[in-house]
Amino acid sequence: MAETKVIMPQMGESIFEGTITKWLKKKGERIERDEPLFEISTDKIDTEIPSPASGVVQDILVKEGQTVQINTVVAVIGDGSGKPAAKETPREEQKQAPKEVKGPAPVAGPTEETKKEETAARTEQAPPQTVPQGAPQSPPQKEAASDEDIRSSPLVRRIAKENNVDLSALSGKGTGIDGRITKSDILSYIEQSGKKETASPAPPSKPSTAPAAPPMKFTGDVERVQLTAMRKAISEHMVMSRRTSAHVTTFFEVDCSRILKTKEKLQPDFEQSGVRLTVTPFFVQAAANALKRFPIVNSSLDGDTIVYKRAINIGIAVSLEWGLIVPIIKNADEKNLLGLSKILNDLGERARNKKLTPEDVKDGTFTITNPGQYGGLIGTPIINQPQVAIMGMGGIKKRAVVIDDAIAIRPIILLSLSFDHRVIDGAVADQFMADIQKQLENWPTS
Amino acid sequence: MKSNIMTRDTVPPITLPSEKTLLDMFYYMKLTRELEFRIERKLYRQGRIVGGVYVGRGQEAIAVGGCVDLRQDDVVCPSHRDMGAYLIRGMSLRTILAQYMARKTGATQGKDGNMHMGDLSKGLIAFVSMLGDSVPVAMGIGLSFKMRRQDRVVLCFFGDGATSRGDWHEGVNMAAVSKVPVVFICNNNQYAYSTPLERQMAVENVADRAEAYGMPGEIVDGNDILEVWDSVTRAIQRARAGEGPTLIECKTFRMTGHSAHDDAGYVPPELFEFWEERDPIKRFERFLMDRGVIDKPAIEELEGRINREIDEAIQIAEKDPFPEPEDCLKDVYYEE
Amino acid sequence: MALTTYVEAIRQGIWEEMEKDESVFVLGEDVGIYGGAFKVTAGMLERFGEWRVIDTPISESGIVGAAIGAALMGMRPVAEMQFADFISCAFDQITNFAAKSRYRWGAGVPIVVRGPSGGGVHGGPFHSQNPEMYFVHTPGLKVVCPSTAYDAKGLIKAAIRDPDPVIYFEHKFLYRRVKEELPSDDFVVPIGKAAIRRKGSDMSVITYGAMVYVALDAAKELEKQGIDLEVIDLRSLLPFDKEAVLESVKKTNKVILLHEDTQIGGFAGELAAIISEEAFEYLDGPIRRITAPNTPVPYSPPLEEFFLPKVSDVVRVARELYAY
Repeated sequence: MAETKVIMPQMGESIFEGTITKWLKKKGERIERDEPLFEISTDKIDTEIPSPASGVVQDILVKEGQTVQINTVVAVIGDGSGKPAAKETPREEQKQAPKEVKGPAPVAGPTEETKKEETAARTEQAPPQTVPQGAPQSPPQKEAASDEDIRSSPLVRRIAKENNVDLSALSGKGTGIDGRITKSDILSYIEQSGKKETASPAPPSKPSTAPAAPPMKFTGDVERVQLTAMRKAISEHMVMSRRTSAHVTTFFEVDCSRILKTKEKLQPDFEQSGVRLTVTPFFVQAAANALKRFPIVNSSLDGDTIVYKRAINIGIAVSLEWGLIVPIIKNADEKNLLGLSKILNDLGERARNKKLTPEDVKDGTFTITNPGQYGGLIGTPIINQPQVAIMGMGGIKKRAVVIDDAIAIRPIILLSLSFDHRVIDGAVADQFMADIQKQLENWPTS
Repeated sequence: MKSNIMTRDTVPPITLPSEKTLLDMFYYMKLTRELEFRIERKLYRQGRIVGGVYVGRGQEAIAVGGCVDLRQDDVVCPSHRDMGAYLIRGMSLRTILAQYMARKTGATQGKDGNMHMGDLSKGLIAFVSMLGDSVPVAMGIGLSFKMRRQDRVVLCFFGDGATSRGDWHEGVNMAAVSKVPVVFICNNNQYAYSTPLERQMAVENVADRAEAYGMPGEIVDGNDILEVWDSVTRAIQRARAGEGPTLIECKTFRMTGHSAHDDAGYVPPELFEFWEERDPIKRFERFLMDRGVIDKPAIEELEGRINREIDEAIQIAEKDPFPEPEDCLKDVYYEE
Repeated sequence: MALTTYVEAIRQGIWEEMEKDESVFVLGEDVGIYGGAFKVTAGMLERFGEWRVIDTPISESGIVGAAIGAALMGMRPVAEMQFADFISCAFDQITNFAAKSRYRWGAGVPIVVRGPSGGGVHGGPFHSQNPEMYFVHTPGLKVVCPSTAYDAKGLIKAAIRDPDPVIYFEHKFLYRRVKEELPSDDFVVPIGKAAIRRKGSDMSVITYGAMVYVALDAAKELEKQGIDLEVIDLRSLLPFDKEAVLESVKKTNKVILLHEDTQIGGFAGELAAIISEEAFEYLDGPIRRITAPNTPVPYSPPLEEFFLPKVSDVVRVARELYAY
């Protein structure tokens, strides 16, 4: 059954539709090839259209007066024997079935935080956290991974720079092609790290680092040694902490007689269990108990919100030849002396052997440091951000003290508490320390 | 003989112009000759000119004869052999010399060199190096006169070589179709750089083409300033009367190289000798002296004056500053 | 109120300028008695007479040269190139006489040279070209490419009123396909300003001419897939709206440059360089171009369809860029 489709022709380059003005043949009528079949009208011209084939007009698909696009089938010429064809709809553009889009969801930018004047508005990494997440423990001599090793883009690098983010922190976390760090990746990172910063990618109006130190002037011979990554991180943290918190330090003397007695008593048992007992666990426990009673000392300041942390994770500053690290005793309030000692032993051991993991050094809520370990009286430690207090332990020395109006010899330790006066008033700090003092001086010896 | 093409023997005898015009003709031819001599043979060889130099030595009668009687509101499209046109229309010697010396005070402020000069206020249209381009432009100028029903005319000068370009054909054709008031003046100095006429065209006369375009053509002795003047004057009258364009071919010879750095070694020396005898200025000088319009002392006085004017202008122009480097960026577009 | 087609808008624009200013006139092939091959000048001969609507011989160079001469004498000619492809015959007059006139001797040449450019009509290599870049490359000229009826009218008026030579490329594919209601007042679209056709946040498509509609159709597709396109219509290529381009790129950080012109020497290359030079730190992905391939415009439908950038190209490239 031979059929010929008759289409609306294109009568001129800019013409794309035509109107049927008159059918010259009716359905069922015979027509010869080149014989006029219908008349059309377009913007440019009115004309007769000759039939492309001989046969019978089988179907007329477009009525007189109707306007259709060029190339639309307006009629069908058959050989007289066929059934009417199904009505064809005017040609439409094929719609493509949309495929699932792979890639990150549309970026929700960081919420507008209240802006702080200080550089507390920038993301900083505390020195204990310089261990890149996911990367193996590396010697401190290793430089922070250069930006070029981590796939990103000019925009992402700029946002990172403006917000003092080391792109190596996002290493392996990019959601772009080949693990590239995308704009939404870095913006999410900045938002989630809980730090305040200005909405990127607008260029910042304030410099992102502290004002540069004045250039060093010295006319003699020098040897120049580049800071290690860890040292650099420590130095930046110290300066930042001082700028962030209103540091005040308060000092308490504690009579260590009872804890020393207890220690002597417990030592043999502990050593049988392979645990070395020092004075440190006593202070940790006392601090943990005091922190339960003075939760404000276990908090952080986020903008103008005090964030009270439920866990009491006490970090112990460990000084190593290559730097400073603060492993954390998680939930120190739940542990007894034996437990604390074990953990302390383990952390100390692993710290010295560079086997600490990122878990070991994160989420501290309070820090204890030991500035007196080399015989000094006491120090005024710098708060370990984002905490609000840090306790320093001096050396234990036998001193002449006055008890009941008589002179006695007692092992005395000086404790210092540097606290953030934005959040903690002097009265509270002293009460906290008095609590610790009281616990230590009344330690049960039996 | 084509019916449209006129030669000396087919036109009425010349009615002489006024004595003032005769003296102006003489002055401007002498001024053109001396100025171009100084530029080409002295300043250029002394390294005091920047870039190329193109003079119309021996062809002075054409531009001067054509332009001397123009109205203030007429327009001229000159070519590089038409220094006389610039001088007659009022461009100063200082401006012309500063132009050749690439100074800020030159006609194009250092933007373009040598004869690429123009000044709308003086009815002078700056041509481009693509010779022949000016022909449709002249047609458009004439068209604007006709559209506004003004009886102004535009003279369009070009050489034998330029007539080979497509634009020449298009412009002449359109001018004839629209009957615009243009006088097309061909300076046929018989050489386009090193290309002699017989390699430029297969017809003997440029004006032979006039009939093919449907306009009158005329062939004149380009070294006879009165013939040139007469022919152009009649063409101008026809144009002002709305009778359309004319193609005038001025037979002459290029008495120097194409440019100052061309010694024209390809020209047979006999040709130079032949045409030297027909030098337009010498011929006119003889004519004027014969008629008592001028005498030797007057000529000497004139030559002295011309030399002083040129000397002065050279002195001033050479002291003029060059343009600032940043001027490079100026006037690409209209700036308020 | 009636919808005005793109071609009718151009006609109205020229007509209104001729009514306002006697020095405006039209010249070209078949513009008078026939009203123009595309009817752009229909009716003008009857209204304005044979000295303001001039039928010329086939002499593109002569036509432009005549326009230049008339413009030097203070007229405002609008010279038609029957197909923009033929503008190459007038290349010398445009680029050497007109473009450099003001620079060299302070004489402005306020001509408009206009003609239908672009493909998609089975016109073949000599009736479908996009010759704009030859002229964008010539300092002293202005080059505009409207895509809407409003812009077609506003820009032809701006071109006629401009004191410098303007090359006006109207896209023949859009002549009757694009229509909108036009305001009745005398409005002008400034040369050198882009238009934001669609605001978006994920990536910018910078384009002009008929491709504006390809970009908008692609944007509708991509919207369903969660990709939000911003579409910038340049409207003018010389001068072009650099501020609008950079602002869009700085906002979305990803950019596709789309044009119907061929790739090498096309405007996308120029834009890519400028974006890289002036917005490098705002790019979150490479600059992508979608253009015709480096061939003449072919005639047979499957060839021409291959040649012209289409919606599916834009969708594909946008998805690649989005995922980067």
